[in-house]
Amino acid sequence: MSFLAFFLIVISLLTFVAAQLILKRAMELSARGGMRNSYFVSRVTIGIVLMTISFFLTLGLLQRFDLSYLYPFQGLSVIFITMLAAVVLKEKLSMRLAIGALLITAGIVLVSMS
Amino acid sequence: MQNRPPGFGNPWLQLVLSVACVFVSELLLKRGATEVAEPESAFSWTGINGLSSPLVWWAILLIIASFISWLYVLRYIPLSMAYPLSRVVDILVPLGCWIFLGELISTLRWCGIALVVIGLALVAKPIAQMEERL
Repeated sequence: MSFLAFFLIVISLLTFVAAQLILKRAMELSARGGMRNSYFVSRVTIGIVLMTISFFLTLGLLQRFDLSYLYPFQGLSVIFITMLAAVVLKEKLSMRLAIGALLITAGIVLVSMS
Repeated sequence: MQNRPPGFGNPWLQLVLSVACVFVSELLLKRGATEVAEPESAFSWTGINGLSSPLVWWAILLIIASFISWLYVLRYIPLSMAYPLSRVVDILVPLGCWIFLGELISTLRWCGIALVVIGLALVAKPIAQMEERL
């Protein structure tokens, strides 16, 4: 796999994860502040734009690789969420999460060698 | 867990539908993308040329459907239960690639897929609890 392909896989996952976090925040705010304010609208717009980018990058990758090859990489999104939760939300990483993240990474290494 | 509506409104049925939609949409996207693939053109890295395949449009409809039923599921089933269950799609997709798309999956790749699934099973619950707080 080329460096470009790996880079695009990671970008498509990161944009997807970021969109989820932003949309989640926006929906929480809407529960308190309603939906008719520019803050909410801008957040939702950013979320949708990010999800669209992720979708098209995946579509580009699918033209070149097997689905059974690309799909396991989605496990990386779980690792990204874990790291973001630790960094942004100051969550403590449990042993269980750390071992799970290691297994996922090892699995993806095997898949990318195949 | 709130009282569950019967029939089509049953949240567990909606969870199954949501997972089924994701599964089918992944296979359709792969079929559609392959149909119109232009690996030589640099522009096709953007994936936008994929829109010329009708299968891709069907997949988009299914993604929207799965999103709506997922939101419905979240109203009734706690995320810490629904999210780990929804990961069953990680097993379905490689199986679907093998059965429906005829992709040859080497032993090495099956081992990698298995490791990812075990890892996801370990982290699925803590992740769902985190998202609950996000």
